[in-house]
Amino acid sequence: VTAVAAAGRPSPLRAGFEVTRRDRWHATVTMTVRPDEPVFAGHYPAFPILPGVCVIEHIRLGALATIPAAGPGWDMTEIGRARFLGPVFPGDRLTTDLDWTPGDGCWWCAATAATQHGIAAKVKLGFAGRDQP
Amino acid sequence: VIAAAQLRNALPHRYPMLLVDRVTTDAGCGELTAIKAVTCNEPWYADIPDELGEEAYDYPAVLVLESWCQAAGVLAAQAAARGSRVMLFGGVSNVRFSGRVRPGDTLEHRVRQLLALDSTAVFEGECLVGPQLVMTVGRLVIASRPQAELRDQVAMARAGADLDG
Repeated sequence: VTAVAAAGRPSPLRAGFEVTRRDRWHATVTMTVRPDEPVFAGHYPAFPILPGVCVIEHIRLGALATIPAAGPGWDMTEIGRARFLGPVFPGDRLTTDLDWTPGDGCWWCAATAATQHGIAAKVKLGFAGRDQP
Repeated sequence: VIAAAQLRNALPHRYPMLLVDRVTTDAGCGELTAIKAVTCNEPWYADIPDELGEEAYDYPAVLVLESWCQAAGVLAAQAAARGSRVMLFGGVSNVRFSGRVRPGDTLEHRVRQLLALDSTAVFEGECLVGPQLVMTVGRLVIASRPQAELRDQVAMARAGADLDG
């Protein structure tokens, strides 16, 4: 799944991702961090690190592809918490486990993202219906 | 006022990830207001097909957050010596997105520093477009680390992976 196709919206990530495991309440998504991602030119010059917000974006895209709720129109409306525990570099393989919990008119997605070097981030995102224009 | 040239001294970010245009108010007491103008020339819009409607131009929420964090980073840079240090987004909590942002909008970031130590600072605040609140940030932790420390960290991780393999 490409990033733009997954979200139907612009994204700072060019790389697509793959859903490698999925059941009703759990999923796993993976992506290889492309060295030619546009963000690396400026984050940071001569020392490329994937921005933490791009790890959140990877999780958001994977979540939108696997949310248990019916129908389109969902999007991230809240970051309950995000802790960044290790750097992600160009070429790393990012694997993220997603666990879903229903809330009051929303869905919560708890995610752990890891590279081959260890855990990169632990994140909890809230999803609700996207406002209509 | 801190304008574009000075911002490059305060932040290590560069195009296309330098997402603050100007600091408009720096009270010098741990509070700051900064702006970022959103334009459809940003690379995130490069692949949007022509046939899609206006909603296809919603600015990525995570970049609204990144932009706000960089405004906080200007305050963090004032508190910590820079040199060859890398600014890292340590953690964030209670962030709520409450409005959409599109090309032509100007983000106004309001940042308040809650705590500042040598290598760690904590912030809260919000982002507005005109009178409309588009994001609130309950808590952001920014850490600064020497580049060499990060390089050592990844070198050790890779050496460990080689041994495991």
